[in-house]
Amino acid sequence: MRRHRRLLLLCCLLGLGTTEAVAQFGELPITTFGYFQTSFQHRSSFPEEPAQNSFSLQQLNLFFQTDISRRWRAFVNFETLNNFSSSRLWGGFNVEEAWLRYRVNPAFTLKAGLQIPIFNNLNEVKNRTPLLPYIIRPIVYETSFSEFIAIEDFVPARAFVQAYGYVPAGKAKIDYAAYLGNSPNIRSQFDARINNTDSQTGIDTTITLLAGGRLGLRLGELKAGVSATHDVTNEFQGAEALFGGPASRFEGLARVRLGADLSYHLGLLSFEGEFIQVTYDEDEADLNVDKEFFYGTLGYQLTERVFIYATYWDTLQRLVVFNVDGPQGLIPVLPLEISIEFIGAGVAFNPTDRITLKAQAGPTDVVRSTTIVPFGETTRDRWEFTIYGIAASVLF
Amino acid sequence: MRIGNLITLLATLALAAGASTASAQVAVIAHKDVPVDSISKGDLLDYYTGDVQSWGDDLAIVVFDLKARGPVRNAFYEYLGKTSSRMRSIWLKRKLSGEGNPPESFETEAALLERVASTPGAIGFVQKSNVSGNVVKILVEIEIDEG
Repeated sequence: MRRHRRLLLLCCLLGLGTTEAVAQFGELPITTFGYFQTSFQHRSSFPEEPAQNSFSLQQLNLFFQTDISRRWRAFVNFETLNNFSSSRLWGGFNVEEAWLRYRVNPAFTLKAGLQIPIFNNLNEVKNRTPLLPYIIRPIVYETSFSEFIAIEDFVPARAFVQAYGYVPAGKAKIDYAAYLGNSPNIRSQFDARINNTDSQTGIDTTITLLAGGRLGLRLGELKAGVSATHDVTNEFQGAEALFGGPASRFEGLARVRLGADLSYHLGLLSFEGEFIQVTYDEDEADLNVDKEFFYGTLGYQLTERVFIYATYWDTLQRLVVFNVDGPQGLIPVLPLEISIEFIGAGVAFNPTDRITLKAQAGPTDVVRSTTIVPFGETTRDRWEFTIYGIAASVLF
Repeated sequence: MRIGNLITLLATLALAAGASTASAQVAVIAHKDVPVDSISKGDLLDYYTGDVQSWGDDLAIVVFDLKARGPVRNAFYEYLGKTSSRMRSIWLKRKLSGEGNPPESFETEAALLERVASTPGAIGFVQKSNVSGNVVKILVEIEIDEG
């Protein structure tokens, strides 16, 4: 009896009034909407690579949204990338989001289920192409590159529970978000095949979790914030074969992402920028796989429907490539440093509220330093090329 | 005689200008059941950007917009300190992140006025001279800068 009272009290505290607790299984109206971005891109040639022209359905997202009641909302986001075709083994298909939201008031909203967590300014909306003027987004947000750049190392891609909101402070608003998700130690079908096991895939195989959040300030058209996440990774297990130490030395390495974002609108002029630093267990001097990223975009609303901008981004990735066939078994043989720098400009034009036509161009500079560990020899390669693109982003 | 004519002309112009200013006002209107009689610029912006979505306990804020980009709409968003393109960007972000929907927009002020009058919690804006009778509350009056 006492337990029932406690449960009732808990329900009341959570705002689950009896009218909302009553089971209602009738069909709810579902709002369906989405967008796609289709593009043509030309990449100039560089040593070892001829020039490339390609049309692409970069991205197509389909949303389903329903308001279960005034406070409860369910939202599902399906995403396809890079001319997705399962029969041709092209691109990818993802369930990006499937969440349930409970909004108490502006100061507190709770979201449970698969979701893209708030990190810096762009993460949450990185794949909303109609919102962004870019064809090629700042690289760690360019999901169509996720097949060859580990963008999830830079920004958290998924969380499963998140609380967020804002608190007014005079004329300003203090934004906050706090979330939990899985660590990167997710068992894939590839892992299961390698280990010859029939295990459940897509789940975190450790007891560690991702924890993160953002604290921000909004004052008029100024928006600024700092973000952070913490998780642990087993990605570098086996590195002790080269660097020495016990088998557990590279197990459960702490990974910390730190971010800062700033955006400001001054009349028709706007600026937005971000910085991200990813560090792996600072005590491990031997294994430097830290990463950095910066972008800044200066924009001008030329007319109500034309936006022009100049953008710069720069990323530095340090990687270790494992050679599974090495004479000593699993050893890292190729510490790499890859920096990618892009300076570009573009224009976005809205002929209607639902269509954004885009053009973007800019030179890209890729520098790779490779050290072959057994010989201690470092080689440096550099590729310079220019990317031109036109695209249409269509909201439906 | 000439001076007298000039004075009459100036007086007529001044009256005409005064009458024009008085009629060229935007009224921020709300359904009669909303629990406020006036509203600050900051609150109005919070309602139109979707930061605040309810009047209090259970009454949802329903915001309406005009489709046409005329002096009334321009004066309203200028009052809020936002351009149309900036508002579009804010609404699109809310819609695509599942946080809210852009306001329903109407072709005519008469249609908007009618919907505000019939929708509990609704808020909108029309030219003040179009508000007659006692069907809605006027929360704010905004001068239209015709310069």
